[in-house]
Amino acid sequence: MSNPSVTMALAGNPNAGKTTLFNELTGAKQHVGNYPGITVEYKEGFFSHENRKINITDLPGTYSLTAYSVEELVSRDFLTNQQPDVVINIVDASNIERNLYLTTQFLEMGVPLIIALNMMDVAKDRGIEIRADKLADLLGVPVVPIIARSGKGTDELIRQALLVADSTRVWEPRDISYGEDLDEVLMDLIATIQESSFLTASHPARFTAIKYLEHDDQMLTKGQKTDPEVATKLENIVGTISDHLLKTMDVYPEAIIADHRYGFIKSITRQGVLTHKYDTDRLYTSDKIDKVVTNRLLGPVIMLAILFGLYQFTFSWSELPVAWMEVFFGWLGGTVETTFPDGPLKSMIISGVIDGVGGLLGFVPLIMFMFFGIAVLEDSGYLARVAFMMDRIFHLFGLHGSSVMPFIVSGGIAGGCAVPGVMATRTLRSPKERMATLLTVPFMNCGAKVPVLVLLIGAFFADHKALYMFLFTMLAWLVALVAAKFLRMTVLRGEATPFVMELPPYRFPTLRGLFIHTWERTWQYIKKAGTVILGISILLWAMMTYPGLPQSQQDLFESERLEVKNSFSETIRHELAAFDGAQRQLSEKAIELKHGLSTIEQKESAERLRHSIAGRVGSFFEPVSSYAGFDWRTNIAMLGGFAAKEVIISTLGTAYSMGGVAADDAGTLGQRLVKDPNWNRVVAVSALIFIMFYAPCFVTVVCIAKESSWKWAFFSMAFNTLFAFFASVAVFQIGSFF
Amino acid sequence: MTLKEINKKCCCLAKKVQKCAGNSRCNRQGHQGPLSENCQAGKVKICKITGDRKLCARMASLGVLPGEVAELLCPQNSSQCLLKIRGGTLSLDQSTSNNIIVQSV
Repeated sequence: MSNPSVTMALAGNPNAGKTTLFNELTGAKQHVGNYPGITVEYKEGFFSHENRKINITDLPGTYSLTAYSVEELVSRDFLTNQQPDVVINIVDASNIERNLYLTTQFLEMGVPLIIALNMMDVAKDRGIEIRADKLADLLGVPVVPIIARSGKGTDELIRQALLVADSTRVWEPRDISYGEDLDEVLMDLIATIQESSFLTASHPARFTAIKYLEHDDQMLTKGQKTDPEVATKLENIVGTISDHLLKTMDVYPEAIIADHRYGFIKSITRQGVLTHKYDTDRLYTSDKIDKVVTNRLLGPVIMLAILFGLYQFTFSWSELPVAWMEVFFGWLGGTVETTFPDGPLKSMIISGVIDGVGGLLGFVPLIMFMFFGIAVLEDSGYLARVAFMMDRIFHLFGLHGSSVMPFIVSGGIAGGCAVPGVMATRTLRSPKERMATLLTVPFMNCGAKVPVLVLLIGAFFADHKALYMFLFTMLAWLVALVAAKFLRMTVLRGEATPFVMELPPYRFPTLRGLFIHTWERTWQYIKKAGTVILGISILLWAMMTYPGLPQSQQDLFESERLEVKNSFSETIRHELAAFDGAQRQLSEKAIELKHGLSTIEQKESAERLRHSIAGRVGSFFEPVSSYAGFDWRTNIAMLGGFAAKEVIISTLGTAYSMGGVAADDAGTLGQRLVKDPNWNRVVAVSALIFIMFYAPCFVTVVCIAKESSWKWAFFSMAFNTLFAFFASVAVFQIGSFF
Repeated sequence: MTLKEINKKCCCLAKKVQKCAGNSRCNRQGHQGPLSENCQAGKVKICKITGDRKLCARMASLGVLPGEVAELLCPQNSSQCLLKIRGGTLSLDQSTSNNIIVQSV
């Protein structure tokens, strides 16, 4: 009887379509980009097929099963330790030769295998015809043509995969000849391995022998730990043949192994499996585009133009919806103001929830447009070209080409998140390059910083919003790279490692894919605003509200109010009391009274806020922060930003709605800041610089600690904050001087 | 002026400057040299992979093996480059392309 629950693994080259198929099958909507290295760890999902529960794992993209990279280690360890019922090997039909290289290693490993021949449409467009039945016969495994993007053929694939999982076939490792010299040595190695049952519990003897010949670091270490005597014997055999090959042919055994594997693939594809309609040497459209887009002169110009265009698109298209959101939250605040009775609940709803979280949600349309633009760049394959072009610059600053992806994920084009960015540094093999990347990615403008940037740029540099956004993004890159260079020249000094990456072909993004990516990221933003940020916002509101003013001070303000009221006649006081704001004009005297009362109200609010816990903390830092132009209210927002950068806006919203500006002429937060005497363009730039570069948010710090150590996490907090503060002080002092 | 002409002119200019400085770094047609020093796009035959064992192994697994014919898509002259090989396009940094010895065909 067949097992009701089946485990499947999706494996293949980077960009072969594993994650697309995973999403198609599970509906998990895991993020998919046309960029190598999206999946660093494996992801799990579930789905049902004909009443069978299927547990499917999306493995990182790899070119081989030899431990050259983290992805290869993760994939191989999963297959060895978890032993799935069936491995679905996704093969890109438009690039079959390179993709089958990994297949040969699955065959050598002897795992239950099925091949999903993906991107049949792309292959057809390129004039490539593949006979799946013939390929299946020659390889001895089922081959199912599919188009993962449209879901075509996926039902048949799962049906066939279930047949493989249910079959009683014993999957013997496939023997590939590696030439006379190596085959002889392999026989010796296999004999030694089998004699001593060396690692045979986890790997077939031939697989272990090949990995020894390939000088696989992980296998060598594992061997030494398991049985040092046998491991040394194997290493000696391999050492002798390696020396011989190096002397006679000037190559290492792994090159000969790779050559024979490609030879094996050629021998299969030439048996009528693969036919080319067009000249195989012709350049595809993708290559022709690359000749222009990655050109050493035009490439960087095009890249900067695209980046600037993205901001132009984001700001111009989102202007109207952002205005609608502002109107909506203004109306909501007004409704609460008129319907709720005065008291802490009303204050919490207006100042804590609407001004705090509402201020953040008001940016949802803008965030959505930006994510849409980034999704277009990513899915089309352009982002991989950006990595290629940036590689040269990264090398100058002591970073690795693979550092580009973590930088972009963290917000290199504004709108990412440092947490996945920090995690994406796992693809870097050199510990020092990895650490330098890990410590500098938080300098990028993540999605949480974008609303703050938009708010301050929109308020103080309204005429050139896109230009300033572009300049601040460039500044983030510059600072991150200079900081990386500084770290690589001091605490993280060391050699640079080479960078090799396969570029995916350009593809037209699908509307479905674009909408999924845009919505996923936007939803994360909304969810965070509605949960964590709401909680922090209310907490900060409480800290800004309690303890209230002592009775003596309240009495003082009350007597001031009475004094002002008494200086006007009874008639004027009645006129103001009866005023409902719309039906008739106030007399000059009544306006004067209203203004006098409103000034006292503002003074009392400001005093109340200053007396609160948050106000006291903000005031405590004011003597130092004033060098950078920040008053105590801005300090509260900056401290809130340690929890999450989004909190800066919500806290500023709360602080500036609670302390000082009369409700009737409050306007948006941006307008309130422009009107505030403590804010001007220089303070805005100083604040922007501090916000962009000071300590990463709490979650990122925890992530840095997890990926390295708490020592580095604290270093990143202290280093970033000190740097940001001194930069802000310099900007404010120099700016104020002129 | 087409892009090809601009590129050609730039490469020629770079060649002239290098010649003046007595430091011509462009591989001559038919001669072996590092991939990074190939100034012209076009077909190249891979002659040898130098460098450490790990790099050789990595290149081999990507199909960059002696005897293979590849197409240099974007020569960047002493920098990174794009190499089309076995149906895929590889981006290689300078240290890697320095270690791939090729001959123009």
